[in-house]
This record gives sequence, structure tokens and C-alpha cells, in this order.
Amino acid sequence: MKRQFLSYFVALPALMLALSAQAHSPEEHINKGQAPNCAAMKDMDHSKIDMNDPVMQAMMQKCMPQDEAASEDGHPSHDMEADAYKPAEHQH
Amino acid sequence: MSSLKFLKCFMCIAFVSGMVVLAGLGFIYSGYYPMGADSKHTKLTYWALETLRERSISRAAQNIEVPADLDIPARLLRGGSDYAAMCAGCHLVPDKMNSDFTLGLYPEPPNLTLNHSGHDEPKVVQAREYFWIIKHGIKASGMPAWGAGHTDEQIWNLVAFLQRLPELSPEQYQILSAQGSSSSRNH
Repeated sequence: MKRQFLSYFVALPALMLALSAQAHSPEEHINKGQAPNCAAMKDMDHSKIDMNDPVMQAMMQKCMPQDEAASEDGHPSHDMEADAYKPAEHQH
Repeated sequence: MSSLKFLKCFMCIAFVSGMVVLAGLGFIYSGYYPMGADSKHTKLTYWALETLRERSISRAAQNIEVPADLDIPARLLRGGSDYAAMCAGCHLVPDKMNSDFTLGLYPEPPNLTLNHSGHDEPKVVQAREYFWIIKHGIKASGMPAWGAGHTDEQIWNLVAFLQRLPELSPEQYQILSAQGSSSSRNH
């Protein structure tokens, strides 16, 4: 009886610790409901795109792999997006 | 003679203080305090609590060291994904003005997609305070202490995202916060 109580005493905190670690793994935080809508980048005003802006760079990082994957599948990548990734001439 | 006057004065102050404490305890135990979140504080109470909160956070966060690479794309991507999972319900997303949480919580969680005109503090100060709030939470406000289950790096990623959030369009927000194949590259 005493042994059973002791095992609960050890197992319960261990279980809670394991669950809390699981609940906060980075994968838990990924928004699994939606894929990035990279097509929306087509509608952006390209004259206002600043390639040095970390937001734009982050969006490119997010969307580029999709385009690369599409190309590997034999589908052409979006020309518009490819154009958007080129640094604007006025920035040089 | 003067010592007798002093003693009388001291007794008087002690009596009044005792009565105030008793009255306070009586009020606490009476159950008459309206505890519902739909019952607003008086202006004085709100001011006192808000000032207490702002001053406490400002003091506690003043020596936090902000990472030099806060504004890199990888942080925005990781922070965006975490924001959508952990914060968006209360602190909203671009073009959304309320949610069940913002309507029901009191005090109302700030809409972090807006630039708050009253907070024209330097970015580094804002970053320190965001970090402290996310890590330690705020008592009796609904803001949890995320530091209990998250690393400082994860919290800084959130801070990086929060600093750019008011500038994001709904489309930009969607791309940065959604699941993407680049996340595996970044982790």
C-alpha cells in the first residue's frame, strides 16, 4: 500500500513534467490550420517592395520553398513572384 | 506637557488607522465587492492599477539585454507562428477589431496590431518590456507567464514579431504566421 502510494508520488509529477514539456514544444505552436497564401504576394505593389526589409525577406523565405517544390514537380514557378524577389534597380 | 500632547496625537492616529484597517477587512469579508469582469473599476482604481503595472514593468525590465539580431527574418517567421498560436486570440490580427476574449476580458487585452499613440517609447525599451511581460505575465489580467514553458529565445522571437506587427497587412500577417515549409529550414 505504502509502495503504491510512493509510486503515485513519483509518477504523477513525472507525468506532469513530461506533458508540460510536450505542450510547449515549438511544433505545437505552428499554425497547422493554414498554409501561407503566397499567391497574395502577386497583388503587392512591387514598386514599394523593399528587399532589405526583414518582413519581405521572411515572406520570401516562407514562400520560396513552395515555388521550388512546384518547379521540381514540373510546374512553372510564378514569374510574378520571381520578379518580386529580384532586387529593385532603384535600390542599387 | 508636550509629550502628553504627542501621546494623545499618536493614540488618535493609531485609532483612526485601526478603524480604517478594520473597515477594509470588513469590506473584504462582506462579499460586497463586485468581482465580475463586466463590472468596471472606478477611474481612481483603474488609474492606480494601471500606474502600478506600468511602473513595476518599467522598473523590472530596465536592465534586460536585447539581442542585436532581433530584426532578422528567421525570428519573424518563428515569432509569427507562435503569435498565431499563443497570442492572436486576445491581441488580435490585422483588420480584426475584436474577439470573444477582447470583449469579455477585463482589463481588455491591448490590440497589438495597432500603434499605441501613448507609447512613443524607444524600440529597445519596448522590446525589453514586451519580453518581460511575455516571460512573467501580469497578475489578475489574463496574461500568462509564458516563461514557464518557453525559452528566452522563443520569447525574443515573439518580441521581434510584435515590433513589426502593427505595420503588417492582413496578407503579410497570414504568410508570416501560417505553417510553411521554410519553418523546418529555420528550426
